[in-house]
Formats: sequence, structure tokens, C-alpha cells
Amino acid sequence: MTDTAQLDGPDVTGTTEFTRAALEDFLFHEAALLDEWRLEEWLDLFTDDCVYEIPAPDLPESDASRTFSLIHDRRTLLEQRVIRLKKPTAHAEFPHSRTRRLITNVRVLGHTLDEVMVGANFAVYRLRNGRDVCYVGRYEYVLKVTRGGLKIKHRKVLLDQTVLDPHGKISIIL
Amino acid sequence: MTLHSPMMVDDRAHGLFRVHRSAFTSDEVLERERTEIFDQAWVYVGHESEITEPNAFLTRRVAGRTVIFNRDRGGVVRVMLNTCRHRGAEVCRETKGSSRVFTCFYHGWAYDNTGRLVSVPDGDSYSAEFDRSKLALHQPRSDSYRGFVFATFGTDAPPLDEYLADAKHLIDLVADQSETGMEIVAGTHNYSMRANWKLLMENSVDGYHGITVHQTYFEMMMNLGVTPPGTDGVRTIGRGVDLGNGHGVIVNPELGSPLMAPEVRDEMASRRAAFVGRFGEYRASLMANNTRNMGIFPNMVIVDLVWGIQVRTMYPISPGHTEITGWQLMPSDASDAVRRYRIDNALTFWGPAGLATPDDVEGLEQCQRGFASVKEVEWSDISRGMNKPVPSVVDELQMRTFWREWNRRITGTGYEREGEPFAAAYPGGISEGTASAPAGVGL
Repeated sequence: MTDTAQLDGPDVTGTTEFTRAALEDFLFHEAALLDEWRLEEWLDLFTDDCVYEIPAPDLPESDASRTFSLIHDRRTLLEQRVIRLKKPTAHAEFPHSRTRRLITNVRVLGHTLDEVMVGANFAVYRLRNGRDVCYVGRYEYVLKVTRGGLKIKHRKVLLDQTVLDPHGKISIIL
Repeated sequence: MTLHSPMMVDDRAHGLFRVHRSAFTSDEVLERERTEIFDQAWVYVGHESEITEPNAFLTRRVAGRTVIFNRDRGGVVRVMLNTCRHRGAEVCRETKGSSRVFTCFYHGWAYDNTGRLVSVPDGDSYSAEFDRSKLALHQPRSDSYRGFVFATFGTDAPPLDEYLADAKHLIDLVADQSETGMEIVAGTHNYSMRANWKLLMENSVDGYHGITVHQTYFEMMMNLGVTPPGTDGVRTIGRGVDLGNGHGVIVNPELGSPLMAPEVRDEMASRRAAFVGRFGEYRASLMANNTRNMGIFPNMVIVDLVWGIQVRTMYPISPGHTEITGWQLMPSDASDAVRRYRIDNALTFWGPAGLATPDDVEGLEQCQRGFASVKEVEWSDISRGMNKPVPSVVDELQMRTFWREWNRRITGTGYEREGEPFAAAYPGGISEGTASAPAGVGL
């Protein structure tokens, strides 16, 4: 593992290396958008061929499209998820939960010509109706270098909770 | 121990049906449920496809106990209580795997995977009266129907076949969807809700809440180009059916299948054609063009939404706290494309992170919060469609069938069936070879 991924492809962003600090800035920005419920702006961070997935907690290493995972959204469903969550008729999230995301242990896991793989640990607190729960786990990102900056191509959430009690409603974006 | 009397009002003359809300809040009721329902009825353990190889095992919680659900070295499916006969420790601490022997780590007693006690360390120190043959892992009565394995901890349950009553016909509609057998997809949804377990049994067969609770789900389907029945103002033609012994079902025209790639559409069409060849057009339409939400008393649900089959159980932890397990059932011969399509669709609806289930859970948790006023507002109403000749999918017959059986077991009060029995609802039956829809039944 290195803190810096050397990108030896064409210089599309004005830099040829990604520092952990720059990648952390990106992840912290994403977390802020989610905590502030700016979901349309969050959606703009994704590529058209993106995947957002949460594997089944009892099979974290499995392919979310072939197992009974928790989420396996491509762009179309991700858009629908966001449209839904912004409606007052999305009852599980109306009124909205308050959330607070702590993102840490950010690591650069590797890179290709125009993509960088990033891992991070998270604690996502969800507070609603006088109850709070904390989801704990790890993110695995594939971020794509584009002319518009970094975009999320793959966002995998690996939950450490295997029994979702009291975490039974993952109606927020994790 | 005193329960409110009555727990349930079943007023046929006036078409009124009420359940006392202490059914959802009282510790005494829960204790009675444990002894009179979960210790006596047949309860679902798992599907045979989860343990296909000899020596495969799973451990899971069933009616508050931890059980080992396994296939022994000879291929026999077994349900064994996961507790050492010596001092009680769980002899298997893994959730799944393959093993010929289960060894208790506390003092080292070991059982083979038929349950027989095969090793007691320093066994010479026991008296001649110490009989190892009587110290096998305890095995409750278990039996299976079309791959679904059930157990009962009591001695009074009728044979499983009789217990399932007309629910068997509806299980057949699921089990017959593949000639190579149906299988549980790997991956399990284990989650909880802060609401009484019976609220989820009701909700699982409740057509009335569809448009209100799942408005955003139906809008999502419409955004993707399909129009589920009922959302276009056309009156739904589905119906509810009493399946006997507390089991019930609602049958409704399919919701529609969004985002279907041509290869998936072709395979689904050829699968349907195979159903027609095997069972005739009417039964094929029941299998492939109708959704069926079935509750099997006391706590199992099988919901076939055409693009996915959900199996789930729910058990009380306390009156206001329920553990839920959800699985997905799949034709074992589905192609990769169909498998992915069905899973993706199922995930949009079901589970802790679906676009529908969290709103159900929110609704049930809101009910439970409302029950804080049980002393002032004592009764919940479940009268809808009572005494209609043919209750619709948005009526509540299938919930009353649950509650009458619940009340019988909790209070000892017997009941008469409401409405026509399954054989009258489907006079031609829905078994193999039925060629056409019975007259007057909207399906």
C-alpha cells in the first residue's frame, strides 16, 4: 500500500499524482453532501456506468449482483433512489434522519491508467425519533479521472454489522 | 397471568372485527405466545437447497432456540438443538460450514452429525448408569414440504402435510417453477424492527397499504415505464383466500417488470411457455402473471412478486422488538442474466435497504408507538371486506384468518371459517392439468 498513486497515463487533471490528502478532500466533500441531504449534487459525483453496492453482511466478499445483497444499484436505480428519498412520501426518511459520517484510515489501494482505488473506514451515525444507531464498516471506491475531476465509478460499502439490530432500516445512503 | 378478555371481537352479524392492542404490548401475551404458539406449531427452519452436500450445516435461531440445520453423512436432513447434553453450551459456534462432528469446546463432548454422542473425554469416570445412547443432541420433530423444512417442539401438532392445509397448493405454485428445483440464493437479510412481530405478519399480506405506504415505489416503477395494477385508477381484481389453519393469501395481477433486457424477456417467455406445457394456461398464469403474498401461521411468509420470491420469518424478542430474516428463492436453472435481473428487482423492493421495506418497517414502528395509548384506545380494526362473498386483495380476510387461529391458541376460543374455503374459491383446483380459469373468479 502506498499513500500516493503515480498515474502514468495522460495528464487529464493537471496533476500526475494523487495524494491521500486530495482523495480525503473528495471523500469528505461527498460525506458533507450526504450529511446535508444534498443528494442531487451527490448523484453528480457518479459516472454513468457507476455501481453502488452493499453486499450481504454475511457474504461481504461476494458479488452483489449474484447474491441476495442489500443494495446493487446502477445509475438508473441510484437516480430513482435519490428521487425517492427527496419526497415527503418516503416515509422511513420523513422527517429526514440526522446523519454524521466519520471517515478515516483512507488508503490508496492501487490505480490504473485513469482510475484510482481508495479504501476508507467509516462510522455513520443515524439519529431519528430519539434513537441513534451507528453503522460501522469500510468503503472501497473506484474513482475515475475525468475532465470534470474525480467521479465515482464503483462505491462498495462493507458493513461490519452482520445482524442489523438496531440498524434495520438502511433508508439513508450509507 | 391475566389477559384482556376478550382479545378479539369477531362480530359476523355486523361485519366488525377488532383485536385488543394488548396483543402487541403485553409481556403476558408474549409468554402465552411462546408456550401456546411457538412451542406447539410447525415453524419454518430452512430450505433443503441451503444444505445440498452431505455434512453441510447451518446454525440459526428458530423460535428462540439455536438449531443446527444440517445434512448428515448419510444425506438425511436434520434439525438438532444446538446445546450440549452435558452443561448446555452450544456445540456448533459457526453459522455455516461442513462438518462430520460437532465438538463442544467446554469439556470436549463430541457428537457426530446424526446427533449421536460419540466421545466423552475421560469417560471411564462415569457410573454404569451413565447411558451415552440417551444423550444424543435433541432433535425436535421435523418434516419438509417441497423443500421447505419445518420443525415443531411440541407433541400435539398434526402431521405437517395436514397442518399446511391449502397453503400447500400455493407452495406448489412456487416449487413448480423449476424442473431442477428452487434454491435459496446465497446471502441473508438479518434485521430487526421496534414493533410487534404480528404487525409484520399482517403487513406481509396487506394489499390495502400498498398505494399509501409504497407510493414512492410505484412512482419509481412508473418512472421506469410500467404501470402496476391499482395505480391507474382501474379497480384491482385480485382476491384474498383463507387457506385454513390460520394461513392466508392475497393473489393479484403482476406489478410489471421494469428494465427487462431482451434476453431476459425471451427467457421469461420461454419459462412461461414451459409452465403452459407442464400445467396448462390457467395454472401458468397463476405462476407467472400473478403476485401471491402468503402467510403461513404463525410466522412465515412467502411472497412471489413474479420477478422475485421472498421468504421470511419473524420472531419476537420482546413485545415491541422483532428479529426478521429474509431470503430470496430462485429457479435453480435460471441463466445468469435472469438470476441478476431477479436479484436486482428483488433488492429494489425487499430488505433493510430496499425502496419499499423500510417504509413498511416505519409504518409498523409508528403503530407500536401509537400503542402507548392502549389504555385509552384499546382496539385495532381489521373489519375490511368482512362477509363480502369474494374479498378483494385490499380487504382483510387473510389477516382475520391469522387472528382467529392466534386467538384460538391464546384464549382457547374456537371459530368458524369466514367466506368460502379454498376448494370453493378455486373449484377446478390449481393442481396439475387444470386447463381453464373457474367461472366468476377474477384471475
